[in-house]
Amino acid sequence: MAQCLQSVQEFVQDSFVPMVAVLCSEYAEKVTRKNNLNFSELVRPFCRLTSEGHMRDPNNQIHVVKNLKISVSNVVTEPPHHATTRRLLNEVVSASQPAEGLVTNVITAGDYDLNISATTPWFEAYRENFLQSMPASDHEFLNHYLACMLVVTSHEASPVDQLFKLSQDQHRIQHGSEHAYPKWFIPNTLKYYVLLHDVSEGDEQRAESIYEDIKQRYGTQACYLLKINSRTSTLGPDEQIPDPWSQYLHRNNLQNQVCSLGKCTAASCFCISNLLLSFADDVGRVNSDHPLQLDDPSNVATHMECIDDIKPPGTGPAVDIRKQPCAAPATHGACLTLGDHDRIRLFIQEFTFRGLLPHIEKNIRQLNDQRMSRKGISSSLISATKKWFGGGKVPEKSINELKNTSGLLYPPEAPELQIRKMADLCFLVQHYDLAYSYYHAAKKDFLSDQAMLYAAGALEMAAVSAFLQPGAPRPYPAHYMDTAIQTYRDVCKNMVMAERCALLSAEILKSQAKYSDAATLLIKMTSEDSDLRSALLLEQAAHCFINMRSPMVRKFAFHMILAGHRFSKAGQKRHALRCYCQAMQVYKGKGWSLAEDHINFTIGRQSFTLRQPENAVAAFRHILINDSKQAASQQGAFLREYLYVYKSVSQASTEGVLPQLPLPCIHSFATRVFFGHDRRLAEGEKQAASHVSLDQEYDRELSQQWRELEEQVVAIVNRGVLPAAFQPTLYCLSNQTDNMRFPLAVVEEPIIVEVVFRNPLKVPLILTGLSLLWKFSPKEPGWLLEGVLHLFDPQASQGGLITTEVISEFHMSPEEKKVARLKLLPHQTGELHIRGVVYNLGCLSHFPVVAGSIFSDGLFVRGRQDLEIQGPRLNNTKEEKTSVRHGPDRRLDPIITPPMPLLEVFFINFPTGLLCGEIRKAYVEFVNVSKVPLQGLRVVSKHPEFFTFGSHAAALTPLSPGASENCSAYKTVATGRASASSTLVAPADFGTGADGSRPGVVEIPLPDSTLQPGASVQLPMWLRGPDREGVHEINFLFYYESAEKKVSKMRIVSLHRVLRHTAIICASRSLSVRATACRSNTLPENSEDRNSGMLVFVDVENINTNEAGVREFHIVQVSSSSQHWKLHSCINSVEDKDSKLTSRERGKLCFRATKCRSAEGESFNVQMLSPPQIISATTPCADFFFRRRHPLESKKPPMLGSAGFAPPAGHTAAEHLSNVVCRCSEVDLSIIVLWKAYVVEDNKQLILEGQLHVALQTIGREACSLTQKEEAEEMVLLKFKPDVPPPLAKPSVEQLSQLIKTNLHYPESYDHPFPQKSLCMVPVTLMLSNCSLAEVDVIIDLRHKATSPETLEVHGSFTWLGQTQYKLPLRAQEVRKLRLTACFIHAGVYNLGTPRVFAKLAEQGSMCEASRQSATPALIIINSV
Amino acid sequence: MAVCIAVVAKENYPLYIRSVPSENELKFHYTVHTSLDVVEEKVSAVGKVLVDQRELYLGLLYPTEDYKVYGYVTNSKVKFVIVVESSNTSLRDNEIRSMFRKLHNSFTDVMCNPFYNPGDLIQSKAFDSVVSSMMVQAC
Repeated sequence: MAQCLQSVQEFVQDSFVPMVAVLCSEYAEKVTRKNNLNFSELVRPFCRLTSEGHMRDPNNQIHVVKNLKISVSNVVTEPPHHATTRRLLNEVVSASQPAEGLVTNVITAGDYDLNISATTPWFEAYRENFLQSMPASDHEFLNHYLACMLVVTSHEASPVDQLFKLSQDQHRIQHGSEHAYPKWFIPNTLKYYVLLHDVSEGDEQRAESIYEDIKQRYGTQACYLLKINSRTSTLGPDEQIPDPWSQYLHRNNLQNQVCSLGKCTAASCFCISNLLLSFADDVGRVNSDHPLQLDDPSNVATHMECIDDIKPPGTGPAVDIRKQPCAAPATHGACLTLGDHDRIRLFIQEFTFRGLLPHIEKNIRQLNDQRMSRKGISSSLISATKKWFGGGKVPEKSINELKNTSGLLYPPEAPELQIRKMADLCFLVQHYDLAYSYYHAAKKDFLSDQAMLYAAGALEMAAVSAFLQPGAPRPYPAHYMDTAIQTYRDVCKNMVMAERCALLSAEILKSQAKYSDAATLLIKMTSEDSDLRSALLLEQAAHCFINMRSPMVRKFAFHMILAGHRFSKAGQKRHALRCYCQAMQVYKGKGWSLAEDHINFTIGRQSFTLRQPENAVAAFRHILINDSKQAASQQGAFLREYLYVYKSVSQASTEGVLPQLPLPCIHSFATRVFFGHDRRLAEGEKQAASHVSLDQEYDRELSQQWRELEEQVVAIVNRGVLPAAFQPTLYCLSNQTDNMRFPLAVVEEPIIVEVVFRNPLKVPLILTGLSLLWKFSPKEPGWLLEGVLHLFDPQASQGGLITTEVISEFHMSPEEKKVARLKLLPHQTGELHIRGVVYNLGCLSHFPVVAGSIFSDGLFVRGRQDLEIQGPRLNNTKEEKTSVRHGPDRRLDPIITPPMPLLEVFFINFPTGLLCGEIRKAYVEFVNVSKVPLQGLRVVSKHPEFFTFGSHAAALTPLSPGASENCSAYKTVATGRASASSTLVAPADFGTGADGSRPGVVEIPLPDSTLQPGASVQLPMWLRGPDREGVHEINFLFYYESAEKKVSKMRIVSLHRVLRHTAIICASRSLSVRATACRSNTLPENSEDRNSGMLVFVDVENINTNEAGVREFHIVQVSSSSQHWKLHSCINSVEDKDSKLTSRERGKLCFRATKCRSAEGESFNVQMLSPPQIISATTPCADFFFRRRHPLESKKPPMLGSAGFAPPAGHTAAEHLSNVVCRCSEVDLSIIVLWKAYVVEDNKQLILEGQLHVALQTIGREACSLTQKEEAEEMVLLKFKPDVPPPLAKPSVEQLSQLIKTNLHYPESYDHPFPQKSLCMVPVTLMLSNCSLAEVDVIIDLRHKATSPETLEVHGSFTWLGQTQYKLPLRAQEVRKLRLTACFIHAGVYNLGTPRVFAKLAEQGSMCEASRQSATPALIIINSV
Repeated sequence: MAVCIAVVAKENYPLYIRSVPSENELKFHYTVHTSLDVVEEKVSAVGKVLVDQRELYLGLLYPTEDYKVYGYVTNSKVKFVIVVESSNTSLRDNEIRSMFRKLHNSFTDVMCNPFYNPGDLIQSKAFDSVVSSMMVQAC
């Protein structure tokens, strides 16, 4: 129960006060009316006595009466009508609303913090009015009139007669038969004669004399001369007289309050006119119809209460009353001075102390005497009857019980009632001790008579007086109250009494902190018959729960909801709303979504009916925002209601910004922004560069790759240095990208924002007119333009600053997540801020929607939602790490820059599948679609070996006619067959750095090096299938810059732009080429080349598995490329010159290679197998060759290149040694195998061409065109200690064997006449040639030392003659001949290859002792002639 | 049998509420929510000393006109609430007690599920079927 302004004692005391009736003469009424008051109202503010009164109780003890209040009211001859009371209470409650800035106290209970208004003035107002409007009943006397004031004025013709007449009236009302209602306490009511004197009008002398006259007639004690109206009613504007009436006349204020609320001005007008009408009626009649039957209980009604007793003789009062609605209510007491106030106060005091209290005292004494005198008789009578009829009476009573309980009526003079009367009198004068004992006695009597209504009344008052006893001699008998309430309610069916009892009891219990009991009591009192009462009591019960020692928050909330429900049933919408709002605090955000939704829904509805649509919208919003568990139909209803309310709100307010809509949910974080046009991907043969699009998912790895590519090209453009302010160009901003900086957008290029919507509901939604909301500030300072201007009509700015695309319809299925792409097209430079989206929200009606008909539904509301993106959490400084800070996210705030060139790239005839090594020619078209010229076009890729745009040195050789018609990618020249031509080419021509830098960045040769606006250029492009089979993704980054280099004042201007393309190529297996080089053992004739012959074996295998598609491969040509070597001739036989390889076939080609002198460039050498010759030194072939070579070269250990020239000084000899040995066997020859493949595709035969490269590095080691899998690189062991450098391997035996080349020269067969000469001597020349660049010592051992029996058997019969062991120094590259002689004794076949040659490097001493020349068999045939 | 069975988390938000479909679900939500006050009162009424030996079953929380509300609090302060119809006189205290025990066992099983995230709404078929077995079979 909420706190009250009064204390409990005060409240209870004030509930029961002595009642005084007033009868006024017509003139008296007129006099008081000057002050806008009637007489009872006039005295009301002074009815509480400030001084103490004294009286004697029956035991002659002095009893002090403190703070007494009396109630003065006009005589009302009709009991208050039930409906009227009810209406009155209703209005009182609805008029009393919490003030706007009402102090609420915060109650913290558990994890709840509740804001609750501590006081409930509406409840107090209700209670006060309820108690006042209680009808007087027969079983108690508390609100019966104790006295009656008769008021006349001194101006009347004969005031004494008038007084007499009034006195007769009073007597008639009390004792006459026609008036049953106004109940009177005691038959001889105290009459108090008041003579009003209007100072401003009347003659004071006359008043005094009349007063004397009256005093003589009625006695001094019962008369009073009251002088009022000391001044005229004209009130100076500066005068401020306290208005004590205002707080007492709420009913008067009621209407004004209602008016000030602005709620029903119309109604109040009606009210007034109605009043006037009814009053006119009243004036016309002379009967005593009660005016409270009027439909409008209002201020005027109270004034008219007294009129029925006064015969209205003229229209005077009517005029007054007619004026009254116009008169300001503040003019109460306008003619009264402060002195008048004091006089009235004195009058009441005089009346109470001189008139009322003595009267009461006298009556108590009388009653007590009566009782004492009767006591003897009655007690003896009762005891006698009990004695005599003891057994017989009890059953009779129990039978009567049911009948009599409520209906029992004592006659007014019954002795039991006298006790009660006495008790009431004592109670009214605050003699609670005595009152309690009398009540207690009366209760016993009533109970014994089974007079339940009387008993309940006595019980109630006994409890109350026990409570009010000073010093509390006995505990408050709560059970008395409970019994009383129960009796009133259940037995007597008297809800009004029960309610009063409950109100008192609850208040008392509350004061004793028995909140739980109070709550139970209050809840019990709720019933179906009165919604208002139930609501108020439930609310109080709720307050009880919250005020308990351990606050029961949830019970509070629940009862608040119940109260709210009852309030709304009672039509008290404001109170209902307040209750629901208070309950909401408990349910909010605690997971009880069903309840929460229900409350929100109710709040929404109530707010709407109370014309607080903003609150209604907010409440409905809550239901829709949260993931509700409601059924789809329910959600649909919520949504429709929301839309309806929202619509009425938005219609009401036409200006200002659009309100926010709750639906659908926007995942702002997932918003993506894309700068640029939508790309046409394919257009016939043309295939546009894939670039970036919103359809692609963000891939961290990929974007890193692009970034690297861009860095690479930018670094090259800026002469190898990456500018500090470099930022990779981002075309698509998402939550993965770095959005700390303002992105750049270009004028006249669209900005596409992808917004992710989610429909949380189970009903479909439709958005129409969906577009972006933006704010734009043009570059010119001071001219900031709010894009909000066009909030209501996005089309308004069409063609102005920014074109906003509008999506006319956007459907969302239940619980769907959908993206919308919204486009903006800026037309001016400046700063753009994308604020949110604006759209019409609507829901589908139940019937299936035909396209276009949805608008007829009409339930569409316009609103917006903001896009607010929180940046990533910062984590750089310590401060940022320890606190939660978020960086800015600027993805929605692009800066519009001046026009930039815009490139579009199309690929023509771009293949999707290639054989490994296949060469294909395609065309690239570059189009400048902007209005700005473009230059510096470059392309960068991670796979430069994949494509080429051709070299500058393209047109070195004349083209053979028809070569281009042949659809061949290669340039051919018609030459004679088998001619071996060689061409010298500088690698730099092919974009390769001399130092072997990666040719990743390729400048694209544009004509005039710029591309004018609108111009397009088509360039050929050659592609070569990757060497490894599989699907390859190859990224191209086209770089270009604006031709107009302008110095801009804007912070960052990206001078370049990029375009991305990802080509996907599927490579399938073609040929595998393996090559080996061997030193030829034969010494050629001309001595120049004698040392440098080499054989190159090329093994070609068709490893294509697609037998149906690729029919055969032709090896067309084999070219070589080397600085030192050139291919000489093909050794293969002439017949299989056109070497065909069908599936799974393998062929071998053998070439002789010789060393050549030229060392300052790559020399291309061609071995043509079938005409026409392909110029391998020109564009496609050489380009790919060079692009291919570099990764290999970079893998070579760098020391090989330099070691020969400068042997490291302090380095180990071993290293030098191995260098020398390695160099000796180094080859550095690349073989290019050009092939043609015959492919059947769609029943057509196609000829595909291609080339494969093999780089030979070492003699004897096989090299393959397919790169071996480098497993070692993939699995590198983690090592924590620095690697011990591997011990320098001694040059292997094999390597050492390459140092020296030996050759035996001898006749193949030798005829010798053995019969004549038994000994055959054959001269043999041993040629020794040093292949290395170092000096070598050679030891030749001819000793014929058989190592095994077999060899002995074979060679046994010949021997070397002469010196058998030589030691020779061989200088670098020196060739020496050693003449030997072999001696044979039999004819036969002998192997001369027995000499063993040991070589060692001259300086190394014994370090590398020997290498044995692997002796090849050298057979000689000795014929006997 | 019960007309509504609810499991409420320590922080007093519902983990599971099921009521007979024929009745107004909202009413039960309110009832269960309001009963938490009584649960808290009863739990705090037991002295702090006796927390360990506290009886988990709280008995009848409060009767309304149509229903009786029973409560049970696990040691981890998870509350079980069972609402039965007042007219159902066949249910004694013992039956209610065993219903709670069954519910607790099933709840423990749910908690033991490694895929269940404590604090989430309970969406377990096994738990559902245990609850259904205790509910009034709606015809």
